[in-house]
Amino acid sequence: MKFGYTSWLPQTELVDSFVEQLKNGKLMGTKCKRCGLRYLPPRAHCKCGAVEMEWFEAERQGKLLSYTMVTFAPESMSKYSPYIVAVAELEGGLRLLAQLTGVSPSSLKVGMPIQVSSHQVSEERIVFKFKPI
Amino acid sequence: MTKVGIVGVGHARFGKRSDATIRELAHEAFVPALEDAGITARDLDASVIAIAGEEFAGQGAPAAVVQDYIGLDGKPTFRVEAACATGSAGIRTGWSLIRSELAQVVLVLGVETMTHLSSARATELMARAGDTKWEYPFGITFPGFYALMATAHMNQFGTTREQLSMVSVKNHKYGAMNPYAHLQKVITLEEAMKSVIISYPLNLYDCCLISDGAAAVILANEERSKQMNDTPIWIEGLGAASDAMLISERPTLTGLTGSRLAAEQAYKMAGITARDVDVAEVHDCFTIAEIMAYEDLGFCEKGEGGKFIEEGQSYIGGRTPVNIDGGLKSKGHPLGATGVSMAVEITKQLRGEAGDRQVSGAEIGLSHNVGETGQFAFVHIYVR
Repeated sequence: MKFGYTSWLPQTELVDSFVEQLKNGKLMGTKCKRCGLRYLPPRAHCKCGAVEMEWFEAERQGKLLSYTMVTFAPESMSKYSPYIVAVAELEGGLRLLAQLTGVSPSSLKVGMPIQVSSHQVSEERIVFKFKPI
Repeated sequence: MTKVGIVGVGHARFGKRSDATIRELAHEAFVPALEDAGITARDLDASVIAIAGEEFAGQGAPAAVVQDYIGLDGKPTFRVEAACATGSAGIRTGWSLIRSELAQVVLVLGVETMTHLSSARATELMARAGDTKWEYPFGITFPGFYALMATAHMNQFGTTREQLSMVSVKNHKYGAMNPYAHLQKVITLEEAMKSVIISYPLNLYDCCLISDGAAAVILANEERSKQMNDTPIWIEGLGAASDAMLISERPTLTGLTGSRLAAEQAYKMAGITARDVDVAEVHDCFTIAEIMAYEDLGFCEKGEGGKFIEEGQSYIGGRTPVNIDGGLKSKGHPLGATGVSMAVEITKQLRGEAGDRQVSGAEIGLSHNVGETGQFAFVHIYVR
């Protein structure tokens, strides 16, 4: 299964593993075995140069840091337009970008509590998204 | 070590140039630069060609076509790329060629053609400059990234919708006075505020143009600069930095860390402070970007950028006149040409050749050029 509303690069093994867990409702990041730095979304290699990473399950509650409503979408996304894209800070401090649904644009507010959930876009595609709590 | 001077500048008309491809546009900027320096192509030792995208150029390995068309066969050439900051990466590279004594006289030429693509296609290509693995799959666009910064800035500092539009009004005012600008049209605050939303809170008049264009500068070492030109403009400070690829991995959404770091380096190298800058070209790809640039470059305190434009401090007569050629907003933003165009404008200002747009007595200029959403940042200091 492919990740994202759209994509154009081949999907790597790392993303395949991430998607498998996302199907079960789990949001997985990776942690460097050497320096302990955590990445969400996951990376296969650490910025410290280490290649040994381990999976961890990320917190799924957080608060909205910023948002935008995209009305002029790229070619590949026009069928979904308009949509809200947001950045949230999850409990524990990691930040994430995703679309936000289930909220009217007029009630959007920086700082509002959100939850990350998995969302099956189609038979072949899955993504994570933010929902207000 | 030798100083590096700008001895010749040339600028093609920015706009929808369906009459020209990259080679003709490059030629249009190259010839006046040679004439300005009072030299011929034979006097050049090397060229650096700044082009951001091959699909934009419509030509693979586009530097080869450009160097051939302008008659530099046999001389070393290559292309540089740093997204929207490609032109400034070119100048930094040209400066390094001279400082390393690999060359004495170098052409830096930036060119881009963009208007032959549909808006949807151009938006698609630029969206792919976001992380293709973890950002692009959510449909985030270039205006979308800056809209995230705008929402955060407005929320944290109380920056207003009006203040964003005031940047646009200023840049259109000066663009209307620049014969090379894409949109030579004065706009009202009301027009700017009411235009169609592109990515909330940014509207059409918050966004720079998609343009075709080219600009050229000729750089030379100290000895050759003094031989060629009565008023060489010296590049005395250079700073460059980068930032995390993912916007969600950055510690702040209300400024560009790379801009701040690049400015610190450039000021230190030139031995000046932000207060010494008489005229500046900053990267106003979106109105919020110009407001953040005032802060990141130290023209005002963090969070005071909205007030800075509201008080008119970035107009001629204000504390630091900014984008007196119309900026990316009104002059246009042909990616590879933009950073070189900034150097052309500052050179004219410091020589006192900017006509109606002249900042009286300007002696120190600054250019600030950002690639992507802050992943590339370049600041240059120019001194008369």
